[in-house]
Amino acid sequence: MDLPPLSKEQLSAVLKSSRSPTELYNTLVEYEGEACLMSTTDSNMSELLSLFYSTFFFAHLLTDQIYEARAMTQRMPQELSQNDPSLQNCLTLLRAVWQRKYESIYKILRELPWPELLRPAVESYETYFQEKTLKEVSHAYEAIRPATAANYLGLDTGAAEQGNPAVIQKFTAVGWVWDESTRLLHPKPIPTAPEKDTRLYDEKTGRSDWLNEEELRWLRNNRPPSPFNDGNV
Amino acid sequence: MAEFLSQLTSVSSGSSDEDYDRRIRDLITYLQQPSRASELSAASGYLLDNLDPYLHTLSYLSIFLLKIQSLQGSNKGRLPEQIYPGRELWLKAIRFLRSFDPFQIRYAGHEWRQLVQLVVQAAQAVSKPLLAVIAVRDAILRLDPSSEVLTSVHTTFIKLTLVSRSYSLAVPILERQVCHFPAVTGHAYQNYHQPLLCGEHESSTAFITDASGFSKQLTYRDHLQFFLYGAMIYMALKRWDRAHHYLSIVISCPVTNTVSKIMVEGYKKWLLVSLLRNGKLAAHPDVVSSHVIRAYQSLVKPYTSLADAFEKGDYQRLKAEAAQSIWRLDNNTGLVHQVIKAFTKCMTLKLGRTFSALTMADVTQQASDCSSLREVESLVASLVMSGAFSAVLLQSHNYDDTTMLRFSNPIKSLYSREQCARGRIVKEGRQLGVIRRSICQSNHELELSNEHFLFSQKSLRWSDNPGKGNVNALNEAAGGGDIEEDIMGDIH
Repeated sequence: MDLPPLSKEQLSAVLKSSRSPTELYNTLVEYEGEACLMSTTDSNMSELLSLFYSTFFFAHLLTDQIYEARAMTQRMPQELSQNDPSLQNCLTLLRAVWQRKYESIYKILRELPWPELLRPAVESYETYFQEKTLKEVSHAYEAIRPATAANYLGLDTGAAEQGNPAVIQKFTAVGWVWDESTRLLHPKPIPTAPEKDTRLYDEKTGRSDWLNEEELRWLRNNRPPSPFNDGNV
Repeated sequence: MAEFLSQLTSVSSGSSDEDYDRRIRDLITYLQQPSRASELSAASGYLLDNLDPYLHTLSYLSIFLLKIQSLQGSNKGRLPEQIYPGRELWLKAIRFLRSFDPFQIRYAGHEWRQLVQLVVQAAQAVSKPLLAVIAVRDAILRLDPSSEVLTSVHTTFIKLTLVSRSYSLAVPILERQVCHFPAVTGHAYQNYHQPLLCGEHESSTAFITDASGFSKQLTYRDHLQFFLYGAMIYMALKRWDRAHHYLSIVISCPVTNTVSKIMVEGYKKWLLVSLLRNGKLAAHPDVVSSHVIRAYQSLVKPYTSLADAFEKGDYQRLKAEAAQSIWRLDNNTGLVHQVIKAFTKCMTLKLGRTFSALTMADVTQQASDCSSLREVESLVASLVMSGAFSAVLLQSHNYDDTTMLRFSNPIKSLYSREQCARGRIVKEGRQLGVIRRSICQSNHELELSNEHFLFSQKSLRWSDNPGKGNVNALNEAAGGGDIEEDIMGDIH
């Protein structure tokens, strides 16, 4: 409860030491009050606030709290969110996630300039989103064109359309079946872990069950070895 | 000052609850001596620095409030600047609310609520209500981890989270079963059995009473506001099931002749949330009488008309209804927009009741207002992927062939049915647990009712009967069958 004062160093330490996205979120919730009292007119403070709210925003996304993330963007100082590039990027990302614009989401995460301190959170979210989408697509489609699947997962749609073996291999590596004759992929549903008993009283009910894997992954402090993020395809 | 400190830190857990209770009451007597107030107030800075909010909860709280009183001077309604967010007293107050001793605090309900109000006022004074939210939530849960007794602080807290848009912070309170009002005190039988405040109790009704000070006198308005605001929080989080449940409580509130304005507001939202949750109007809760339903319906005509257009699948009429200004006046524009957006989803779902499979072109023709096939496919895909309904999509390699939507994938349905059933069993199991505890509580209370007390008195009189000797009267009462058997024995 008695946390060290909010600073760039402290924020960085919290990002590094958090053992899971939930822990990161819970720690940042405690700091929001302190952030709320900081002045946005001081440039140093503004930079810190921008970093804080951007990190907090990603902590919401990593715990699958999209509605609460939107509420948070309404709580942060409006003069800051309107002028700060990092927070503007967060708002653009929020809009894309809200509208399920897959291509835009990956583009925003990969191509927009993010502060160095925020990079681990951005990369973690990309992995998180990719895996979440993979599970959703594998349940939603019985047959899917490689280009459509590539669009969902942020891969090169042109190469997928051509049936590039490197792209197809990424799908077959997770159990999907590639039918050469119809040139269609047949996804294999990825089972989700049974619902936790505590879930009913868990405040973050929007969380997906598979987040546990993500929490473990978070421990590694590196991007996980998923077939979808190890290459440049 | 050291002498004061030794007095103020004298309370520690005794060998028994009785001993602990006596020590606490002695301390309260000491703190409430009028002659002490000015001395303690003068030393308040030193004392607050040397007292621990957890170990010396009562002393800390009393000294803190004395300090506030001294800063207020003659104007008791003034909020001292020293308690404004970020200032010294603010930090002390927040620390206290998040770390007080939950047993000692039971003796200082009025003071606890006074401090909560000060913190809320201070946060509001700087237009940053968010600052008070976590502290007030933690204070409620420290006092009563089950949060089963509704207090005025609950309503204040929910309003605070709504105003500050910190919706998820309210969920730990809203997820708990708030099922009691502060217990009514003053019955004669309570003089014979008063549980020790510092003891372990199965229910928080033992210490959150109408005389404890933890809540101001609750009115029907407080009760309705808590559930209406709670529903609004769930609406913001798009948890329609919970929002519907909370609104059902609001519209089911017992009434004599007429319904209140809050209930009408609740009914309007209940109609819209029904559409968003089920795609159709839900049946009214059984406890709402027919005359109340008629009263509601006469007051919400535009809403029933909108719901009718939605249910009949008349998109043009739905859009015309949505264009009215009434929604803005009622602050329900956002919900109505969401109803319009949910239309395609519901229409597609309805198709699944008739067809087992459809092409996207058919879906566009039958159920959607989107002009482009690509838009429809994207919308339907996002609905299937989000699990809004059970179906699968099949693309063909040829881009000219439209994607097929097949409803009710049997394997997936079985899996999701099992998951749903499991979730329901766990949830209902927990609800049964709450009911069981409430029944035990009610039984306990019934044993202490006036009727039981009178019956016990009669039993005592029977025990004076020489034939009965000195048998424990209450045991006799509990085994009432024995008396019955004796009477029957005489007859035979």
